Amino acid sequence: MGEAAPLTPAPAVRVQGFGKRYRRQAAVAGVDLEVRRGEIYGLIGPDGAGKSSLMKAVAGVLAFEEGSIEMFGIRIDSEAAAERVKGRLGFMPQGLGLNLYPELSVEENIDFFARLRGVPAAEIAARKAKLLAMTRLDRFTGRPMKHLSGGMKQKLGLVCTLIHEPELIVLDEPTTGVDPVSRRDFWAILAELLRENGITALISTAYMDEAERFHRLSLMHGGRVLASGEPDAIRARTPGSVVELEAEPQVEALDRIQASLAQAESVGPRLRVFVDDAEPEAAVGTVAGLLKGLSLRDLHATTPDLEDAFVALLRRQRLVEERAVAKPRAGDGDPPGDDVAILAKDLTRDFDGFRAVDRASFTVHQGDIFGLVGANGAGKTTLIKMLTGILPPSDGEGRVAGADMHFAAQAIKARIGYTSQAFSLYQDLSVLENLRLYARIYGVARHAAGERIEQVAELTGLTGRERQLAGRLPLGIRQRLALACALVHRPRILFLDEPTSGVDPIGRRRFWDILVHLARVEQVAILITTHYMSEAEHCDRLALMHAGRIVADDPPAALKQALREEAGELLEVATDRPLAAMALLEQAGFAGVALFGRHIHLFARDAHTATREIQTILAGRGIGLAGVTPRPPSLEDVFVYRITALEQGEQRL
Amino acid sequence: MNLARIAALAHKEWREIVRDRLFLALAFVVPAALMLVFGYGLSLDVEHIPFAVVDHDRSALSRDYTHRFIDSRYFDYRGHVKSERELDPLLADSRIRFAIVVPPKFEENLMAGRPAAVQSLIDGTFPFRASTSKAYVIAINAAFNGELLAAYISRRFGVAPERAAALAQPVRVQLRYLYNQELKSTWSIATALVMLVLMVAPPFLTALGVVREKESGSIYNIYASTVTRGEFLAGKLLPYVGISIVNSLILWALATGLFGVPFKGDPLFFFLSSVIYVTCTTGIGLLASLIVRTQVAAMMLTVVMTIIPSVLYSGLLVPIASMDPQGQFEAHLFPAMYFTDIALGSFLKGVGLEQLWGKALALAIYAAVLWLISFALFHKRPRT
Repeated sequence: MGEAAPLTPAPAVRVQGFGKRYRRQAAVAGVDLEVRRGEIYGLIGPDGAGKSSLMKAVAGVLAFEEGSIEMFGIRIDSEAAAERVKGRLGFMPQGLGLNLYPELSVEENIDFFARLRGVPAAEIAARKAKLLAMTRLDRFTGRPMKHLSGGMKQKLGLVCTLIHEPELIVLDEPTTGVDPVSRRDFWAILAELLRENGITALISTAYMDEAERFHRLSLMHGGRVLASGEPDAIRARTPGSVVELEAEPQVEALDRIQASLAQAESVGPRLRVFVDDAEPEAAVGTVAGLLKGLSLRDLHATTPDLEDAFVALLRRQRLVEERAVAKPRAGDGDPPGDDVAILAKDLTRDFDGFRAVDRASFTVHQGDIFGLVGANGAGKTTLIKMLTGILPPSDGEGRVAGADMHFAAQAIKARIGYTSQAFSLYQDLSVLENLRLYARIYGVARHAAGERIEQVAELTGLTGRERQLAGRLPLGIRQRLALACALVHRPRILFLDEPTSGVDPIGRRRFWDILVHLARVEQVAILITTHYMSEAEHCDRLALMHAGRIVADDPPAALKQALREEAGELLEVATDRPLAAMALLEQAGFAGVALFGRHIHLFARDAHTATREIQTILAGRGIGLAGVTPRPPSLEDVFVYRITALEQGEQRL
Repeated sequence: MNLARIAALAHKEWREIVRDRLFLALAFVVPAALMLVFGYGLSLDVEHIPFAVVDHDRSALSRDYTHRFIDSRYFDYRGHVKSERELDPLLADSRIRFAIVVPPKFEENLMAGRPAAVQSLIDGTFPFRASTSKAYVIAINAAFNGELLAAYISRRFGVAPERAAALAQPVRVQLRYLYNQELKSTWSIATALVMLVLMVAPPFLTALGVVREKESGSIYNIYASTVTRGEFLAGKLLPYVGISIVNSLILWALATGLFGVPFKGDPLFFFLSSVIYVTCTTGIGLLASLIVRTQVAAMMLTVVMTIIPSVLYSGLLVPIASMDPQGQFEAHLFPAMYFTDIALGSFLKGVGLEQLWGKALALAIYAAVLWLISFALFHKRPRT
């Protein structure tokens, strides 16, 4: 393991014509890909895309039927062959910390993996110390694994995978369900390993916005690879431009665009449209032409991101289910009523001396989409439980749908709808039976139920699927059924707890189309939690939770503006030796230096001065600089910056 | 075989067991609890049957006859009632299980040399208890008849009462019970329970321990590493075999200490046989865990694979010899029967290696086969 790798040109992994079936069902078919030594290769796709099957087969822990897999030039076609490469390989299966031993401490977990992998006793201590320091777990060595946070579990999993210094690591969705700060940490650790050990990594993810982290990647969907290559090359496969704008009235604008362009969505106050095969200027012209007579603001073209490309690819390969035909118009006669839907004032909840939610205050109006983001354990679920009348608050007050939280928990339950990721649809009932059941549970009058069920089925695009069993529906459609069930009793407020986890980008877009319609047209107030930072952009307001407190509460654009004012511009540095450059820039004291594939991101107060400084530093070491470009910060940047600042503040105390 | 890796696996497993309170309780408390619950609850002795008497005759002879029941340790006298009609509610309520009705002119008829019919009513809801009660009634009645006959012979022929008694019963049965002189069913049951508990508890623990890793996904650590199949099975199961050996000692102590079962055999032989037996039953758990994916399914499967054969085909309830040929054949397929023989032989008969080596060998073969099948079924590169 420690010796030099043989000087063969064989790639780390070569997959040809790979196919895997479970019973008769094909999970993956016809996959070709090649992972070169020393690169981070990504598999990106939604749940059920076949990523896990492929990764397990590569790691030699799953037998397969079709095609071939070679690792370091060794063909993995039998259990015995797989055994021969396992010493050079580290595998971390899917599920946060699920492969670790909850009863054992951090150190005991690492020791077990080290002894299992036959790491010489003399080396264990040194390697452990290094990895623990790198992951900042060194303060928690005695803590049982079950008491670690999600991010820490993930890092411990990584340490355990790395303790025998493998040449190739296969990590199955290591960042799913982890908060953005821990995710950044994870990528930083990986960058360091890449720099110091020259490790090769095959990593899968469901987050499209992590694509930039990979050198090369494969986009997967429905058991097939849609496209492979560098992120830029994949984007180039679907020529076109993205146009962003604000339009008034938004709903009409979106309808007009969607009538002729297939790939358009509303993102918070803005609209985002992908125009196929169009240069930026032409694209802007096309969109402006469609929206004649409406008031438009801030109309501009921007580069498509990988998610745009993914959706465009699916669309071109005709893998997209057709859009729901017509959405029901507004005017089902509900009076807007009290404009304030949720009013929370100093809401607090204690559990045995532990404060889960600490004086949370905010307001949600009818027709607003209010996003709640934060790490696991930040208090989101407790807050939602209080707001939905499941859990009484220890202190503070709140009104939900006009009912006082302290005295009218039952009234609240009748006036709201609730959907969670783990929403318990009855899998053995059909779509229609599920809807009828919920109508009865919520006491919808029998004569009105039929009509209302038809309405929500149409709204959520379930028309024509009424007889199908809930358990047989694809994940995205099942989530829409859950939403439909939450809507049968015409709630004025909707609570959605991570409703789109694992759903593919197209499914997520459809879901959001429905939410936007509910908010804009039917004036329903929506409170939603999500782990997808790209999704948080859709919210009108975003509250950031940390350690039980709401540490920011603003529209996404305002949050980004505040970040610019506090931290400066986000710059993207392109160089020929990113790893070396990254170390130099960190030493020079730049804030937020992070590796994104071949690029480096950092913050700078003044872009102009910083660019000159970067040029000087890199030139001094003979590192080629391809360019420094300002980039708009993402919400993830905001989140990471805020939380890191808070954590540093806590440590100083 | 890399001993360091086996030790690492066994060490990890042991720590997990010790830290998980529920699992630890399952490992050590449940076997002892099973032994106590069954040991006290499962007595097959029929004694203290509550009964009542209807005496229409009220003579010296009828009093003499009914006292034979009243004085017996098998019956509990609950009183006289006036008529049969009063018996019905008592029987219906289960306040009595048996009643005896002496007809009018009982003494007069017998003295005149005419037969008399005594009615006995037995609650037949539990056939086993009813048939045992019937046997007691017949035995007491036969003894009474014998004495009447002896008294008649003595009066009629003027011989001594002892001689008359011998004439009245020319053939007598002389009974001597071997190994369990007092015929205490507790002794045999406690012994058989050692077999039963060691058949149920080890597979349960083992199956849960292995399937737990499958369920959580930590089995992938094993799949993806260089640990060999044999090393994994050995390291993983060593703690469970160890726990079960400790349990076999605890059960032995409970049987001899608490239930007063004598231990007459060879302690070393019995201990070694127990080790073979728990290795065998641990193997059953291992096999079950390789077939299923969830802990719930593992529990169901081990129940089916262990409790049913060990209750039905071990000789615990029905002697193997009195089964039909098919049942006997099936009994030989399960390890429970062999260990029942070893346990009964060691505790009550005081026999050892010389008489029981065949059974111990059968268990060892059984264990080896189970482990080999498991080894063949376990793959580090499964199809699903």
